[in-house]
Amino acid sequence: MTPASDETRLPAYIIRMSLMFRVQHALLMATLLVLALTGFALMYHENWLGRNLIRLEGGVLYRGFIHRAAASLLMAQLVFHAFYMLFTREGKKELGEFFLGRRDFSDFLQAIRYNLGTADEYPKAGKYGYKEKFQYWGATLGILLISVTGVILWAETFSMRFLPKIVLDVTLIVHGYQGLLAFVILLFWHIYNEHLNPSVFPMNNAWLTGRVDAEWLRREHPLEYEKLKREGVI
Amino acid sequence: MKGKALYAVIVAAILGAWGAVPPGPAEARISLEKCTLCHGKPEFRKILVDGKIQELFVTADSLKGSVHEKKTCVDCHFDISEIPHRERPRRVNCTHCHYKGNAEGAPQSDGYLAYFDSVHGKAIARGNAKAPLCQDCHGSHSILKAKNEGALVSQANVAETCGHCHIQIYAQYKTSIHGVAVAKGIKEAPSCTGCHGEHKIYGHTDPKSTVYATHVAEQCSKCHGSVSIMSKFGIETEQVETYKESFHGVASQFGSRTVANCASCHGTHDIRPAADPLSSVNARNVPQTCGKCHPGANPNFAVGKMHIDAKKKDAGIVYYVASFFKYLTIGTMLALIFHIALDMYGRTKRLRGEK
Repeated sequence: MTPASDETRLPAYIIRMSLMFRVQHALLMATLLVLALTGFALMYHENWLGRNLIRLEGGVLYRGFIHRAAASLLMAQLVFHAFYMLFTREGKKELGEFFLGRRDFSDFLQAIRYNLGTADEYPKAGKYGYKEKFQYWGATLGILLISVTGVILWAETFSMRFLPKIVLDVTLIVHGYQGLLAFVILLFWHIYNEHLNPSVFPMNNAWLTGRVDAEWLRREHPLEYEKLKREGVI
Repeated sequence: MKGKALYAVIVAAILGAWGAVPPGPAEARISLEKCTLCHGKPEFRKILVDGKIQELFVTADSLKGSVHEKKTCVDCHFDISEIPHRERPRRVNCTHCHYKGNAEGAPQSDGYLAYFDSVHGKAIARGNAKAPLCQDCHGSHSILKAKNEGALVSQANVAETCGHCHIQIYAQYKTSIHGVAVAKGIKEAPSCTGCHGEHKIYGHTDPKSTVYATHVAEQCSKCHGSVSIMSKFGIETEQVETYKESFHGVASQFGSRTVANCASCHGTHDIRPAADPLSSVNARNVPQTCGKCHPGANPNFAVGKMHIDAKKKDAGIVYYVASFFKYLTIGTMLALIFHIALDMYGRTKRLRGEK
């Protein structure tokens, strides 16, 4: 890479998350936290963690109420997000950035090869690199699927009228593990990418301020940086 | 009034028969012979107010073989200080001897105290004349130890004893799997006291009760969770464990009183094996049983196994799905950690190259 020219070293900021997306992100974060706390309380009810969580949540009855209320909010967010991404100008533009292509998978492999020392260049990311795209689509699909299993369990009497009990047993297992998997991914992928990664440590502030440093963008998302430069934003 | 009049007549008759014995100071101990002068006559009986006949026939043999074999009449009927007694003797108060530290040779136990806190003891305290005292369950003259088969409170007989008052429950129990088993002489099968306790019997809505909604599973598990007991009868023991892992079980463990416990589905006194058409968990009755809490339950509720433990291979697909997800989660975790390590390594390299 060429050394950065003097002008890019100036403190220049780029708006990476509009207020709309920051609100959606904050709501999503709060909802997922509540769902994880109430969900794992039930899943791990036999140990101290679950026991104390259930106590904290006012007993099994209120744990259920809170979990289902948060789940309703999450599903509402999913529907809203889908409409926003499909039918608004900003949404359509972002959805375009998030389009998953063959390139993202080859970027992913190239990144691994580079890290292992068998490729010469680290893949150049656009506004969203493979890390962001995988996270986005993984979360969206995950929320969709966990909503389906959740609704089957929520409407247990209705489900039991049409499905054999074994399907509900499997659904319960799947629902729990989907939650755990989502939690693990958030912990090891999102926390690393947005907090522990040296480039953003201790935190990428974009989710609060919406802004990122132009220099950070140049390092992490060079294609987006170049595009913005061409457009004269920087 | 009629009873009292009759009583007076009998007393007068006895006095007449007695002749010229002066009503002098009571002797310290009245010998058995004196009592049997009247009570030893087989026709010695009394007609009660309600028309029932109370036999008053007592002989020297009445206590023979009982735990009170060596006692005399006035050891228990200590309110009788003269013979013939003018007053109807009061009901015998067993706690006169039965307390911890007694010098009478009664078992050294305070266990009886539990009775006063029980549903029966409280009913007596409230003045319910029909509530049972010690002798209503244990018998009067022919008291035997509970482990003695002939005792009124023995495993084989206690249900009938309780049934004197709880007659409908007794009828249900008699034909239930537990009642039938007890009648067959199976020692492990529970009689009334097996589930409800002995002196500490409480109403099922009392949190102290062994059959309180949130205690039922634990109470059933005392036998149904024991491999050594259940293996004798070919009954599975994981029912309790699987229940505890289910939604119902978890809610119950955390204090829900409305959620289903063992008895909600299997019944209480009328528990029958699932194959029995009268069983509440027979496939034909499942819609009705589940429908108590899940309105709209249909025959599909009976499809498949109810008690499932996802941790065991018997659970079939549930077990394999759980295992798959377990390894998927562990695999994902490892892959992510590996990815992070690689990324950090590559990043360091990249930054060095930039310098």
